[in-house]
Amino acid sequence: MLKQGKINIAIILGIMCLFLTFGIFLQIKTVKNSTTGVGKTQIENELRDNVLRWKEKYDNLYSKSEKKEKELENLRQEASNSDETSKNLSSELEKYNSLLGLTDVEGPGIIVTLNDGDSSIMKGSATNYIVHDGDLLEIVNELKNAGAEAISINGQRIISRTGIECVGNVITVNGEKVGAPFVIKSIGLTSKLYGAIARPMGYAELLENYGVQVKIEQVDKNTIKIPKYEGIYKFDFASNIE
Amino acid sequence: MKERITMAISIGCVSLILVMLMFTQFKTVDKTDITAIETMRETELRSELSSWKSKYDEVEKKVSEQDIKISEYKEELKDDANTSSTLEGEVKEAEAYLGLTPLNGEGIIVTLSDKDIYNIEYDDILRLVNELNIAGAEAISVNDERIVAMSDITLVNNRIVLVNTRKISGPYIIKAIGDKKYFESALNIKGGYIDSIVVNGKGIEYSLEDSITIPAYEEKEKLEMQYAKQSKED
Repeated sequence: MLKQGKINIAIILGIMCLFLTFGIFLQIKTVKNSTTGVGKTQIENELRDNVLRWKEKYDNLYSKSEKKEKELENLRQEASNSDETSKNLSSELEKYNSLLGLTDVEGPGIIVTLNDGDSSIMKGSATNYIVHDGDLLEIVNELKNAGAEAISINGQRIISRTGIECVGNVITVNGEKVGAPFVIKSIGLTSKLYGAIARPMGYAELLENYGVQVKIEQVDKNTIKIPKYEGIYKFDFASNIE
Repeated sequence: MKERITMAISIGCVSLILVMLMFTQFKTVDKTDITAIETMRETELRSELSSWKSKYDEVEKKVSEQDIKISEYKEELKDDANTSSTLEGEVKEAEAYLGLTPLNGEGIIVTLSDKDIYNIEYDDILRLVNELNIAGAEAISVNDERIVAMSDITLVNNRIVLVNTRKISGPYIIKAIGDKKYFESALNIKGGYIDSIVVNGKGIEYSLEDSITIPAYEEKEKLEMQYAKQSKED
């Protein structure tokens, strides 16, 4: 009886030890494999550091630029006090800057959210129920047609020069990456915007039939906030005709 | 006897925990070891880096422009109470960006036309404008209608394409000012815009020009914001 117990313990311990040694060897092998990538990882880490450093540099300069813009605003204000013409010019500039999308704006409107269909439920090809760059382009076009005064996709303000692009499987707006769900905010006459997007046979319905998740939210209060365009207007090729 | 059993059980438990620990460790090592993605990550990181650099350069330019304007304003304010010419300059600049002035420069002229039974649809034009924007267009017109921020291109009553709520009809002539070589290569990408038009049996021609004139947007009074108000400072 006593002997039987000892044998049992020995067997259990033996099996355990076997497992452990096995495990250790496996691990050594895995670690060995992963070390082949060390050179790459080092370059990557350096790159990652660089990216972070440049992002920080950009952020700092951007906030510096913002401060200078404030200063300019104050100077404009002062300059506009000189005479009536200057006053008009200054208010015109303010209006133009908001039309150009260079100021944060708020107001009533609608929020359209597009999301890829659930792949576990959907049948057929995934291209049908994922959101494409062309879909965003169509919805933005319909919103403009319905008189939207300001539009953004995931925080990227739509301006006259905005391009919506698909690079690989990533969509960019103004050159910035955006991903699903796509939140398209628009400011304008709520009922008109809603009517344009929610209409039968409209583009949103078409997307829904394909399996894309579409949500349309009407906001009557002035609570939709659309951020300004963060890029820079410039002319490298175009010039005014004198 | 009892003691032995408890000992066996406790040793067993400890070993079990050790094995479990090891397995979780395998998993972690496994996750960091995806050699295929590593190369992709590197290229991705490189493009990320160059995009931050070019964004930085752009803001740097902007800051130096701001500095010039600031000193000009200060100079003017010191001098006199005349109409500020800096302010005038800024308004002119904004008008040009808005599309209220005609512009001239190098670029591309694309002509889209119906062919046999295949008609140019509104979204052919919409997509072209988008492609040209991606390629850095500084000004675009469709049949001499300037594209501004809120321009739309839609179909009304079948086969009527509207830009800035005016009717236009084919052939559609789209002009864009910008880097003409860049435009050309952007449109000619395999499976890109030109291919998509040709595959559908429609007509497309383009010419690269050294000097294109794009007219101003003429309905300035329509550029109003009724609903959108400038956000108050927080």
